[in-house]
Amino acid sequence: MAQFFLATDRVADFVAHLMAQKPVFAPHPKGRRSYAFALTEQAADVVLDYPRTLHSVKKYFLPPREELLTFDLTANSGAVTEPEPTDAVFLGVHSYDLAAVHRLDFSFGHGNPERNYLTRRQGALFIGVSFAPDRFHFSGSVGIDPYDMTGCDAFLTKLDDGWVLDVLTAEGEALMDGFDLEPFTGTKPPRGHFTQHIYVPQAKLGDIMKRSHDHEVWAETADDCVGCGTCNLVCPTCYCFDVQEHVDVTVTQGSRERSWDGCMLRGFSEVAGGEVFREERAARQRHRVMRKFLYISAETGHPWCVGCGRCTQACTAGISIVDIVNRLVGDAERTAVAPV
Amino acid sequence: MKLHELQPPSDPRDLYLPEMATVTQVKKLTALETLYTVEMPDGRELGHQPGQFVEASVFGVGEAPFSISSSPTQKGEFEMGIRKVGMLTEVLEGLKPGAKLGIRGPFGHGIPLERFQDRDVLIVAGGIGLVPMRSMINYVLDNRDRFGKLIICYGSRSDDELLFTDELAKWEADPRVDFRVTVDQGSDAWQGNVGVITTLIPGLDLDLDNTACCVCGPPVMYRFALLALKSRGLPEDAIWMSLERRMKCGVGKCGHCQINDSYVCQDGPVYHYPDIKNLREAL
Repeated sequence: MAQFFLATDRVADFVAHLMAQKPVFAPHPKGRRSYAFALTEQAADVVLDYPRTLHSVKKYFLPPREELLTFDLTANSGAVTEPEPTDAVFLGVHSYDLAAVHRLDFSFGHGNPERNYLTRRQGALFIGVSFAPDRFHFSGSVGIDPYDMTGCDAFLTKLDDGWVLDVLTAEGEALMDGFDLEPFTGTKPPRGHFTQHIYVPQAKLGDIMKRSHDHEVWAETADDCVGCGTCNLVCPTCYCFDVQEHVDVTVTQGSRERSWDGCMLRGFSEVAGGEVFREERAARQRHRVMRKFLYISAETGHPWCVGCGRCTQACTAGISIVDIVNRLVGDAERTAVAPV
Repeated sequence: MKLHELQPPSDPRDLYLPEMATVTQVKKLTALETLYTVEMPDGRELGHQPGQFVEASVFGVGEAPFSISSSPTQKGEFEMGIRKVGMLTEVLEGLKPGAKLGIRGPFGHGIPLERFQDRDVLIVAGGIGLVPMRSMINYVLDNRDRFGKLIICYGSRSDDELLFTDELAKWEADPRVDFRVTVDQGSDAWQGNVGVITTLIPGLDLDLDNTACCVCGPPVMYRFALLALKSRGLPEDAIWMSLERRMKCGVGKCGHCQINDSYVCQDGPVYHYPDIKNLREAL
């Protein structure tokens, strides 16, 4: 597909051109140190060169709180709250976050396909953007390149004086209609280097994980962990949820809502009688990491961790998922028996 | 890129919307447990297998998983035996016949009947674990010629906590059932066995090559029951287990019931013991 050049001083015009067609969700500064995806109101507010957002675009397809049903207590009847398709452009999405959306597509699309997620996911267009790996990113170790354009309708690659705009699909092409662009004839600069690595090819990770259930790293990490669940909260592929009832003040109407939940929280595996099946923080830590690198991966061939680095950056106790995995890798390599 | 391959399900039934069923009978079993008889809308059959569960809910209070206690051979209505342990179950206890109850399901894998067919059936139930096992027991009794001997071991904390006492008496009197019951602590009136459920197992007359067993109860019970069954010589592949977890969504999404890579609401709650014996956190 076609390649164009977008000069830095034309980016705001480009955003405005998109906004004239559809709602545009893009990274905005949040506070002094962070970025967050938000609905764009001023084209100039959009930041395309950013390390990572607090949350991924997951929040638009699996909202932190979502009404599943409303009910009428007088009539004792319930009705499904129909989800709306997201007819919008997601601008400035990093490759690992789009990879995470594809992981969620699997989780909500297979088995019992879920109307809520799949409906919201319809109509979403993606304009990806390259990123310069910082000290937390390690998506290269899980097969996701900073220039990976998989699933994008268009993709922006950073140059010194602007961006290379790859237009990749018919929908992407339609978005650019009427916006004057000059062709790009140069070559893209080399991608940035990762400083964080998992020290084993991803194909080997599953076997290492399978042998690591009883490793001491879980208990050691649990000693540092405060069990706050922030790692679950910021993860772009975590999708576990809780369901709660909300009754309005008249006690005649209410709703059944789901909200994000986290396997690192003690009550997550508690049953009615009070038994907690992952009582130990070590067991919860193991469950989280295995969920990213073994359980769903064994079924799909892809790690469910996309290497965004959010859990490590956000951890109040300084726990690094890369350090945990590398510890397992190192010990597995040391104890590996040479093939006969 | 648009999601061309993945379209929302065309099935108009929503995963999370309960059907409004009707409670037709409420019967107190013990101080804590109540048996609810429930009719699906339009008298439709629930269509379950022994060992499966439903999600039952009361709008404004909440939803929770409950095992089905009646046999699918009992037509028209189904039963749930529910212990009062929290907010929802307390509201359920106050329901009167005619009350509406939201039902989703049945969910999960129940007891694989084809693996039990033509074999002696051994049921080991501890406490409230008898509730789902009663579905299988009555299924066997209603299809007597399809199964061999029926052996039931039931353990309860005390004799006043025994469930389904009318039926226990029937099973005891039935010459085609080898029924054994024990209580951890008996009242003065109790004339039967006293001791934990494992004390029943050594004395069982088992055809070790031709028995299929299902165990259900709290973890402290099934861990010791498994040991007792194994030391009695029952092969591991003759054992199935029904596990309790917090199946919140019932459709393999919410993650609460997950044991390693297995969603109990999808793969369970009844598991073949060899499949889970090495799963950390399963037993």
